[in-house]
Amino acid sequence: MARIDRDLLTGLLLASLFFWGAARSELLERRKLTAIREEELLYYPSGYAVRGAAMGYETAAADLAWLRGIQYYGEHRLTDQKYDLIGHVMDIVTELDPSFVQPYVFGAFVMAQEMKETERGLDLLERGMRANPTNWRLAFEVGFLHYVCRHDYVSASRYFTWASRMPDHEPYVERFAAFASQRAGNTGMAILLWKQVLATGNEYMQEVAKRELQRLGVR
Amino acid sequence: MLVLGLFGFALLIGSQALAPLALGEGQKVVIDFGLAGSMMLATLLAVFLGSSLLHKELERRTIYSILAKPIWREEFLLGKFLGLWFTTAALLLAMAGILALVVTVGYGETPWAIFGAVGLSAVELGIVTAVVVLFSSFTTPALTAFFGISAVVVGHFAEDLRYFASHGAPVVVRWITESVYWALPHLSVFNARGLAVHGTAVEPERMLFATTYGGLYIIGLMVLAAAVFRRREFR
Repeated sequence: MARIDRDLLTGLLLASLFFWGAARSELLERRKLTAIREEELLYYPSGYAVRGAAMGYETAAADLAWLRGIQYYGEHRLTDQKYDLIGHVMDIVTELDPSFVQPYVFGAFVMAQEMKETERGLDLLERGMRANPTNWRLAFEVGFLHYVCRHDYVSASRYFTWASRMPDHEPYVERFAAFASQRAGNTGMAILLWKQVLATGNEYMQEVAKRELQRLGVR
Repeated sequence: MLVLGLFGFALLIGSQALAPLALGEGQKVVIDFGLAGSMMLATLLAVFLGSSLLHKELERRTIYSILAKPIWREEFLLGKFLGLWFTTAALLLAMAGILALVVTVGYGETPWAIFGAVGLSAVELGIVTAVVVLFSSFTTPALTAFFGISAVVVGHFAEDLRYFASHGAPVVVRWITESVYWALPHLSVFNARGLAVHGTAVEPERMLFATTYGGLYIIGLMVLAAAVFRRREFR
């Protein structure tokens, strides 16, 4: 018994020392570690290369890359608000799991709204539409970016209508399809779209929606 | 029971930790990691338990008293195979049950689609078990484990092997690769986890095809294992 206790205590002591060392190095070297993690993202191979190495666990690998992408976005949102690698990470996620819709939407949203690279965002969404031709959400988001970022109301109307004809769409899609052509360029329509993001988007997208609504004078 | 308990505990902790990090995709992430973890665990158990399956009987010399009874060697081998396969498949099913429970409680939606994928994974597990039984019938536990793991790895690379060989390789190499390609187990046939995580059920045609292919492959491996084991001399 005494021997077990001694072994247990030694084990606990060693584990505590390990965690103390890890925590200390994380605190002291945080900046350097962040830079290393960022560089690591640059060397992520393409999703097609990872797909071969994943040995049947592609979707789990996609989830790991997705979690890393969100972590990357979160870190930069709090610091320099530069998201240069978000497109690369979302490409990997969607190449590994083409049916995973959220990375197309989130990646496109960040590229169009935060990086002001609407065309890249639209490219990502259109790739998503090719992989998921019956998903109304992707068509709706393409319409959203056309309306809000490119102010191309004709294309927006076309995509909203397209989304409204797809199976399982939400009722609000039909509303937007009807409004888009009638209220082309109308600020009220943009407000409605942003309110929709506020109601249905994830926490980061909701924050952007709040900011945009404030900019449009909505309290 | 210990494995199941640890799996359930890891799932619970994982689902709590990952949900806020996944930006609304917690359910998908938990199902993905749960399915991947359960299949990896069951495969490793099949390989490592199976690698010492016959060796233990030889080491303890219990095989002599068993084979002295009026049973065929093939029966003995088949019993070993079925015992190991059913054990690991039952473990896989139990882990899928725990996963479904965790997802139902955590997200209010039962992921029924995972059971189709788990069914196909159980057939894949049957092939891995048969490979392990084949090698354990004539070689050492270490080599059996090595060949078992290799079969899993190569089984997932069969398509790539054929693809690379078809691009510019000499005719002889291409011919050999083509033969190896058809001889290797095509484990990707049994991978429906990508469908299950998105809530899509496995189509009955695919289920029928994969089960038939898996069954025939297992029978082929067991016939080979029986032929080797029948000729083996015990000293």
